[in-house]
Amino acid sequence: MSELRADLSRRRFLSGLAFTSGAVATGLGSWVIRPDWANAAEGPIKLGIATDLTGPIGYAGNADANTAKMVVKQLNDAGGLLGRPIELFVEDTASNESVAVGNVRKLIQRDKVDMVLGGITSSMRNAIKDPIVARGKTLYIYPQLYEGKECTPYLFCTGPTPAQQCDEFIPWLIKNGGKRFALPSANYVWPHVLNEYARKVIEASGGEVVFEEYYPLDQVDFSATVNRIVSNKVDVVFNTVIPPGVGPFFKQLYEAGFQKNGGRLACVYYDENTLNINQAVEIEGLASCLDYFKVLTKDDPVSAKIQAAYEKDYPGNFLFAAGSAATGTYRGLMLWAAAVKEAGKVDREAVAAALDHAKIAEGPGGPAEMVPGKRHCKMKMYTAIAKGGNYEIVARSEGLVDPKECCAAARRGMARMERSRQAHG
Amino acid sequence: MAESGVAGLAPATGLIASRWRVLPIVELGVLATAVVLPLGLPDYLTVFATRVAILALFAISFDLVWGYAGIMSFGQALFFGAAGYGVALLGRDLNVSAALLLLPAGLLIGFTFALLLGGFLLLGRHPTSMIFVALGTMTGSYAADRLARGWYYLGGQNGIPSIPPMTLGAYEFGEGAVFYYVVVALLVISYLVCRFLVRSQFGLALAGLRENETRIAFFGYKVQHLKAIVFAIGGAIAGLAGSLYAVHEGFVWPNMLGVVISTQVVLYVLFGGSGTLIGAVIGTVIIEGVSFWLSDNYREIWPIILGVLLLLVILFRPLGLISFVLSERERVGSFGAKIGRRSHGAS
Repeated sequence: MSELRADLSRRRFLSGLAFTSGAVATGLGSWVIRPDWANAAEGPIKLGIATDLTGPIGYAGNADANTAKMVVKQLNDAGGLLGRPIELFVEDTASNESVAVGNVRKLIQRDKVDMVLGGITSSMRNAIKDPIVARGKTLYIYPQLYEGKECTPYLFCTGPTPAQQCDEFIPWLIKNGGKRFALPSANYVWPHVLNEYARKVIEASGGEVVFEEYYPLDQVDFSATVNRIVSNKVDVVFNTVIPPGVGPFFKQLYEAGFQKNGGRLACVYYDENTLNINQAVEIEGLASCLDYFKVLTKDDPVSAKIQAAYEKDYPGNFLFAAGSAATGTYRGLMLWAAAVKEAGKVDREAVAAALDHAKIAEGPGGPAEMVPGKRHCKMKMYTAIAKGGNYEIVARSEGLVDPKECCAAARRGMARMERSRQAHG
Repeated sequence: MAESGVAGLAPATGLIASRWRVLPIVELGVLATAVVLPLGLPDYLTVFATRVAILALFAISFDLVWGYAGIMSFGQALFFGAAGYGVALLGRDLNVSAALLLLPAGLLIGFTFALLLGGFLLLGRHPTSMIFVALGTMTGSYAADRLARGWYYLGGQNGIPSIPPMTLGAYEFGEGAVFYYVVVALLVISYLVCRFLVRSQFGLALAGLRENETRIAFFGYKVQHLKAIVFAIGGAIAGLAGSLYAVHEGFVWPNMLGVVISTQVVLYVLFGGSGTLIGAVIGTVIIEGVSFWLSDNYREIWPIILGVLLLLVILFRPLGLISFVLSERERVGSFGAKIGRRSHGAS
């Protein structure tokens, strides 16, 4: 969902604080993780992670960094890539774009990494993509679910797009909720763009949008919205209000009897992290659509293996969850590893060419493959509903869902830009 | 670095004893360091130093309005960010990349915004209190931040990415040593302008109104006008810094207008020592340098260490780091043409 989920919950904040004070006591030292074995011939392949380790979405950034450490450890244990070990460099983007640009430059110019993966919010991606791909001439993978429309050469996205989160989900909502949709939203880019797409799917599937409204990011009183929802006999609330507003909003909606009267709550960024914002009963039946839910580990052995490996190395509060971009990080790194193997070298052109059609058979939630020429990733999507504080899978996509991003017109524009850049550079 | 600016005003007779003139030594030291710095630095640190120099320029603008005119501008980022956005839009929509257009545009945007906001806040019928100005500027900055977040033309929360590099004729300023020296040159020029301003008779009036506004008003000065002028000049310098920042970093985003950067610049100046100009530069360099180093070595806790450090300095050295070497007498300094100074020295 690619945006500030500030102050996710007081509990999480306090636990983050406790962690930090623990770190003060023990000290952490450098974060360059050197492989145990050294291959002198060519030296290690350098992998950069730039993510929000500190700041309000630190819980997600730390999960991503942990995932990267886990993947790199697995790859190194299995002999590295091209016979070379992988060396991991982690930089903090600190939920602050200006700090981020400085730290990303460290990765590019000082550490000379071969690839950068990271960024969680869209504003962070916008801030660091230029230092990485244009000025830094390096490959960049963005792992978070987001609003789409990113179509920059050498920038690959491995999180779900609006098409992936809506195409199967909205018909399901119409069948299991009703035709009258309300789109209450936080006023920033992701909800606007997502709603634009959702509206198209709703109308094409025979539903209607009763209202679409945008509220300030810090609004916490939604009584007027709840009134409109109830008086307009809305069937499905397709929510993109984010923390801190989302907690009070769902609570007020519950108290007004929305679910009791047959209403369906839907929110596509809801994962294991956000479940604890409300009392379980207040969001009973909430439907979400993501590339991974922890409950999948029950019937998918691959997901179970990844989840177990993560929890063994990183027990605690930084959950391996889709909304934190942890699954996108896993997928991105594995696709990149596959591309490096195919290319047989790590230079940007060769890896980008191989990454363009890279595939992995095993990932969290299932296989994944890049759509050639689109720099976005096909993956399986799951619809889950909240039941008693947990999720239950109610629908899953037949095969891999197309991201439908980076359309022809956008590509032509980008190609033009790229040509002029090459002409200048 | 302001040696030449001061020399023009300094008493030829040398009646003012040289033993307490620490300031020019510090200034020259900083300038010399700034000039030789890129020779000993790897590329990526030169880029970092460029960014710090831009922020130092921004810090000077705040020191001018707070340290000399006593205007607590908690919204200095408004001018910084507005100029950044202005330059980004010129680049994005009109394909302007010429330095000779972008930088004056940034200067002008900062100046205009500061004049408007300053006019509104300072030129009322009654003199305004410091609290009113502090809250007014903070509100302005906050409102601009919110406006940018909600305004699609400005890219909303995501800001405007991929601003093309600045050019001069056919030359393109990429990141690196050349850009660094351009920024340092602009920093020196702005510094000298400010130095001249605050050491002139105008500066004396400013110092007076900072210490006792009512008394200066009774002397017949239009206190509010003086303040508005300084505020607008400060805004222009912040605007220049903002436009440089936008082209150097290659993107602008709403935080650039907001309270965080407004507060950051206050910290730079308080840390280094307000009312000295050079203190603002030193504060910026040290805070940015230390946070860069800390974020490398104490990954998880660096913001806390930095916070504690700032707190300690501000608690125990309220006049900032510069007060370790600079006497209060020299900080207040002397003003105006040499005739006045000579008679003062002789008496």
